[in-house]
Amino acid sequence: MNVAIKSITEQRDFVVSSSSLKEVRSFSREVFEKVNINQDLKDELVLAIAEAAQNIVKHAYQGEDTDDKMEIKISLENGQLEIGFFDKGRPVEEKNVRHRKIDDIKPGGLGTFFIQQIMDAVVFKEGEKPWINHLVLTKNLNV
Amino acid sequence: MSYKVTEEGNISTVHLDGEIDMDVTEKAKEIIMPLIEAKKEVHLNLKEVQYMDSSGISVLIESHQKATELGTKVVLKEISKSVLKVIMMAKLEQILNLD
Repeated sequence: MNVAIKSITEQRDFVVSSSSLKEVRSFSREVFEKVNINQDLKDELVLAIAEAAQNIVKHAYQGEDTDDKMEIKISLENGQLEIGFFDKGRPVEEKNVRHRKIDDIKPGGLGTFFIQQIMDAVVFKEGEKPWINHLVLTKNLNV
Repeated sequence: MSYKVTEEGNISTVHLDGEIDMDVTEKAKEIIMPLIEAKKEVHLNLKEVQYMDSSGISVLIESHQKATELGTKVVLKEISKSVLKVIMMAKLEQILNLD
């Protein structure tokens, strides 16, 4: 796939709240408008980003009201997409992050499954100060 | 998200409009669940839903399960392309009632 822009880095802060998810999607759509990939893929990437942001609200902050911000950074370099999420919530332990079994039909647990379906890799890192968590999603857009 | 409910006999049709995410799922449940609890057959018209995430899918699953438990059903109507894609990604096309 021909990715029109060779290099792009954009980042934005959002209040950790479910009411920010719309802004997260708008930001992501704005960034992917600059990239020559098909609309279906853009929609999938927006979904993956929104699900990861939702997980911060739901799990790192357990839905609590906060003035804290989370940062989302979208970088593209030679067709390699990297999306970073930074937050100051509770430390996320990778072993506790599991999507539910897909044949276990119940509400919840689907967001992580969607992220894993859409992206090539999902890596949890310890955040560098002032951040607590740093999630990295990557995908090769050249294929 | 906005909505409109129409009634015809025992069928209540909920026309949902906009984006369904975690921020509006409680509102969506407040609209849909009382209709199911009243044992109406509920049709969810998703033609004007441009975006749905895992929280929205959870509302569909919960509605479907509640309806089954109460001996009625939820039917998804005129599903938009973007919502259908998410339903299929969740492998729910054989579970939910799609029309």
